[in-house]
Amino acid sequence: MGEDVFTFLVGGKAGEGVKKTGAVAASMFTKMGRHSFLMDDYQSLIRGGHNFTVVSTATRPVYSHHMRADVVVALDKRSYDEHAGHLKQNGLLVYNSDTIDKARGVGLPLTTEAKKYPNPSLRLGVGAVTALAVSVGLRKSALKQLISDEYKRDVEENSAYSMSIYDAAQETMFGRFKLENGDSHLPMINGNQSIAMGSLAGGLDVYFAYPMTPTSGILHFLAALDRELGVVAVQPESELAVINMAIGSAFAGARTMVGTSAGGLALMEEAFSFAGMVEAPVLCVLGTRPGPSTGLATYTEQCDLSFALHQGHGEFPRIVASPGSIEEAFYLTSEMLDLVWRFQTPGILLTEKHLTESEMSVDIDVERTAWPQPMMFQEGSYRRYMDTETGVSPLLFPPSIQMIKWNSNEHDEMGITTEDPVLTVKMHDKRRRKGEALVHHLKNARTVNIHGDGDLVIFTYGSTTMSVLEALSVSGIGATVVQPVYLEPLPIWELEQFRGRKALVVEQSSVGQFSALIKEKAGIESQSTIRKYDGRPFDPIELGDQIKKV
Amino acid sequence: MDDLATYRENTWCPGCGNFGILNAFKKSVALLEKKGVARERITISSGIGCHAKISQYLALSGIHSIHGRAPATVQGMKLANPDLKAIAFVGDGDAMGEGLEHLLFAAKRNADITVIMHNNGVYALTTGQFTPTSEKGFRGPSTPRGNVEVPLRPLTLMLDAGATLVARGYPGELDHLSQLIFEGIMHEGFSFIEVLQPCVSFNNTYDKYNKLTEVMYGRPMSREEALAISQRTDRLPIGVVYKTDKPVFHREIFGEWNPVMKRVAREERLKKLKSMLSP
Repeated sequence: MGEDVFTFLVGGKAGEGVKKTGAVAASMFTKMGRHSFLMDDYQSLIRGGHNFTVVSTATRPVYSHHMRADVVVALDKRSYDEHAGHLKQNGLLVYNSDTIDKARGVGLPLTTEAKKYPNPSLRLGVGAVTALAVSVGLRKSALKQLISDEYKRDVEENSAYSMSIYDAAQETMFGRFKLENGDSHLPMINGNQSIAMGSLAGGLDVYFAYPMTPTSGILHFLAALDRELGVVAVQPESELAVINMAIGSAFAGARTMVGTSAGGLALMEEAFSFAGMVEAPVLCVLGTRPGPSTGLATYTEQCDLSFALHQGHGEFPRIVASPGSIEEAFYLTSEMLDLVWRFQTPGILLTEKHLTESEMSVDIDVERTAWPQPMMFQEGSYRRYMDTETGVSPLLFPPSIQMIKWNSNEHDEMGITTEDPVLTVKMHDKRRRKGEALVHHLKNARTVNIHGDGDLVIFTYGSTTMSVLEALSVSGIGATVVQPVYLEPLPIWELEQFRGRKALVVEQSSVGQFSALIKEKAGIESQSTIRKYDGRPFDPIELGDQIKKV
Repeated sequence: MDDLATYRENTWCPGCGNFGILNAFKKSVALLEKKGVARERITISSGIGCHAKISQYLALSGIHSIHGRAPATVQGMKLANPDLKAIAFVGDGDAMGEGLEHLLFAAKRNADITVIMHNNGVYALTTGQFTPTSEKGFRGPSTPRGNVEVPLRPLTLMLDAGATLVARGYPGELDHLSQLIFEGIMHEGFSFIEVLQPCVSFNNTYDKYNKLTEVMYGRPMSREEALAISQRTDRLPIGVVYKTDKPVFHREIFGEWNPVMKRVAREERLKKLKSMLSP
């Protein structure tokens, strides 16, 4: 099971460069032409605690990290205790002999050697990378190159430290594993980067966000590239400011996006409804972490599906879609920007920490993206809320000699406040018809991904899709995986064909929100469910075993 | 000036201080136009409450926003298109209660917007409860034995937060008020104009303001002087209390860029993304 996959796991304290170690390992595999998937497991703290990073690699696409590792490097005792059990039968366990007494595996004096240089704890990760490199038989020259490419600071110290570890490890573990070179040479990006790049491909002008795990990466990425790519990334005082500024920005004609987690979206909720009423095209990225409330701030779950579907008080069309892979996140973000502009209503790109902060080798065609071309006012006398057949009114942006009124109160076609019952009905109907037009539009689009064609039908969505696909791949189970990309409106027209089939639902929720949704809306009765809600993503081998039992 | 009116029926109480603010603002628009600021570049927003209806009585583009958020709404407009003159009409409950953070931070970052606060010291549209600026002892339906809290002083707060133009006006001095609003809008940076607004139904302060307000001649130059004026209650000086020049937020963030007017072409964006996505 999963023999074609090689997995490296490194664990240590926060501040020891664990995360960076994983990224460098992934870069090494990328240089070998292999595909990789990287998952960071970290706690909500700055120093200490326990962090680990897992990188799984193969010469085929890998959709998930595997928890059973070929090489485990434990930088401290806790990592040893937690991860020695993750080792495969013929795996290699490397530990820091300065922090762990004689144990099973290969001890390397990572700290003693590091103390010869300034900031010794920062070197430990380089030691872990070196151990991995030795175990897969990387030559010294190639390792030196990797280190100078990946660690921009202290190149000489890192290189010298690495060589001393290399010498200490060489005899016992050089070339223990033979890794085939692949021919893919794909970049590795995480979900946040994919969403940010997808938004840029989709014409993003302005991004507002208040820091919150697990989507802060989008803000950081866009802020770093703002001048180069002609985008503005702003961190205002709160999520309330974020969404209200976004609505003002959209009014001025800017393609605008915001990002947060559910606690932040809860603060935005009043203005989400405001966006529905004024018909503001605003896209919101919702990165889920386990709740309720603060929950597990740096872990993953799919507990906010219902929250996303029902966001905002009052009746107005909402668009909610969730990418099933890091690649899909790129395309879907540009598509969602297009949709919110096409239908002038707020949308949510629903995703999870497991997608936003995990990295994967991606093969992205930037041309396969949408660039919003909203319906613009042509001539005559402008009416912001002109009643049309589809309910979608032409847009016009200031400065204009025409009066452009957006209004949170019920309003007439000009956007002027009204309390008139006839106009109230007319405007309700207009917004409802937009929802119908949206459904009509989506009927001609790809709204559900269907992977494989086995008898067993597995329903899943979001990042869990990656776990399911990898589980099927390594366990050799034949199944049809049905992954609705759109969740609101739910593409019932696509799901109906699966009614009555033997169905399994896999989701990361304790109450089965997704099972309930497809049952209520599409009449899909699940015969069995696999639910995980411990904050951790699925391990594909364990998941494969669970699916087999079904 | 009639071409600035809409067909919306005016529902303010007869004698409301808001009429004076509306008329003063219309005069300010005329002054702006004389200075070469085209009307179409003026975009407005308002929150929720009696003050907010002003956006429905003015034939200018903008957003009737939600409670407390108008300063955030217009900051969004300004960031997206810095060519716009973005003005937020706010109430005292609206912007000093529910939306105080936006007011403070707009001042802190010197956002190039103008905030006009209709300060009537009462939540009038919800039948007269006390607000953050109501005097101690104010009796309303939620404080039948009198408000026990000490009021916030809007000018003091704005000075402390970093506003670069702070002024106070009174509709009883209409031309003076329209001059203040004009000056606030012309100012590059965050301008805050508190308007002492009598509420004939729940907090009639006409007599008090007619007695206590006095037009300031000559301007206090230092922050210390301005702070002292902002805290006076024996007299209520009206005029520009403080003015200084500081770099504005959008220029600090992106210089002369304009996100909507200077948008990067799709081809250019995709080219750059392609190179970022090569391993």
